[in-house]
Amino acid sequence: MKNIACSKEHALFLKKRKQNLAVVWALRLGILGLLLGMWELVTALGWIDPFIMSSPSRIGSTIASLYRDGTLFYHIGVTLWETLAGFAIAVALGFAVALLLWWSDTVRKVLEPYIVVINALPKIALGPLIIVWFGTGSEAIVFMTVLVGIIVAIMHVLSAFIGTDENKILLMRSMGANKWQILFKLVLPSSYPSVISMLKINVGMAWIGSIMGEYIVSRAGLGYLIVYGGQVFKLDLVMSATFILCVLAAGMYFLVVLLEKVLVKNTQR
Amino acid sequence: MKNILKFDNVTHIYHTVRGEVVAAKNLTFSVDEGEFVAIIGPSGCGKTTLLSLAAGLLSPSGGTIERRGSYGYMLQKDELFPWRTIEKNIFLPLEIRKQNTPEARARALALAEKYGLGDFLKSYPSQLSGGMRQRAALIRTLATDPDVLLLDEPFSALDYQTRLNVCEDVANIIRSEKKTALLITHDISEAISLADRVLVLTARPARVSHAHVLDFGNIPPLKRREQPTFSGWFEELWRELNA
Repeated sequence: MKNIACSKEHALFLKKRKQNLAVVWALRLGILGLLLGMWELVTALGWIDPFIMSSPSRIGSTIASLYRDGTLFYHIGVTLWETLAGFAIAVALGFAVALLLWWSDTVRKVLEPYIVVINALPKIALGPLIIVWFGTGSEAIVFMTVLVGIIVAIMHVLSAFIGTDENKILLMRSMGANKWQILFKLVLPSSYPSVISMLKINVGMAWIGSIMGEYIVSRAGLGYLIVYGGQVFKLDLVMSATFILCVLAAGMYFLVVLLEKVLVKNTQR
Repeated sequence: MKNILKFDNVTHIYHTVRGEVVAAKNLTFSVDEGEFVAIIGPSGCGKTTLLSLAAGLLSPSGGTIERRGSYGYMLQKDELFPWRTIEKNIFLPLEIRKQNTPEARARALALAEKYGLGDFLKSYPSQLSGGMRQRAALIRTLATDPDVLLLDEPFSALDYQTRLNVCEDVANIIRSEKKTALLITHDISEAISLADRVLVLTARPARVSHAHVLDFGNIPPLKRREQPTFSGWFEELWRELNA
């Protein structure tokens, strides 16, 4: 948007736009406040048993006590580390495999049915195997996270690579480009938006993977708190861990959006 | 005048799962240095195959193709890369051929300035009109200073008015840079308004059925359309194309 002198209509248009945005934000926060307020109210009045439903204030005090124990950041740290490690490995490995499959049609044709089957398989079915193979430490959970994310990463990136405009490839070939040049000057830059959307999807996948992993086998982490809380009927703990998860997942998503803004800033698609 | 491109008895066969398609059979023609040759043919006659053969991207199944000099290819759409500025798009063939020297860049930039792209060098393709983009595509093709330009219906994606204007510009640029050009099109009037010589192809398998030397000399495209002989040529080529 250029900062040139604008007409009255345009100033009005901009003002309206701003007002509209303010309304949207007010409603977003309003709904959140209303829900939390009602939750607090119905549990405080005893209409619903806070032992089963928990309440915002009980969640607050549970988190505060976890903080006082010094275990809050320990659990967050464990899950965050597992999620980030799994995310990074899934994305990097998925990208590399997609590259390989793009490079060789034969390899792609050979591996296609394997990928389809692994994609369709519910990864949780591998839980017992993972415990036996990797033990009960963080490695097992990271492995589960990678398993959940990698196929999505491969398929998403590969379809972007394969979808590269045929005419642009023809153009580059007419200039005498080799496959490496086509890869670096055309295929990779034109797949940028798809890679970013793959990252966004994989943020979600990584959390699914790490929490699922912690359900199966863990001694710490937010997933562990949820399972433990459920078993001993401490629903405040379950709700608190879920709430922290929401905040972390949203934070990671916004980081990717921020990354997208920085990367795609100058490309004017 | 010497031949710069010569198709001698060229046959080209495509293989698909369903069978084989003979795209061209006994195709013989040549292009002289500095000449502007237009090839017209019914749709689906294998025009793009012919250009791919001329560009050396395909080798013929039979016959020989003699190519001298270097070739530049211009496609229907501009195919500018949206993530590169116009300037960077123009440098693309230089990068690919490892000729990205300061002199080569300066030469390419001088061409861009000369033909009215000077103000748009730092712009992205999406900020340019269709006509300007196609002009940028031509400058990109000219950046490596090719001897022969292969033009694959380069105006067909433009609206009519832009099309006439860009056609005029491109003819002007190609003539003043003294390039040899081989244009493939289905637009009869475009062929007449641009070329020194027009070849008519048959339906698949493609073969040259008629060849005409046009007598317009150096008259530019829009002026050619006003010539009394223009409609005569049009009718003749139309008849031959539909024979």
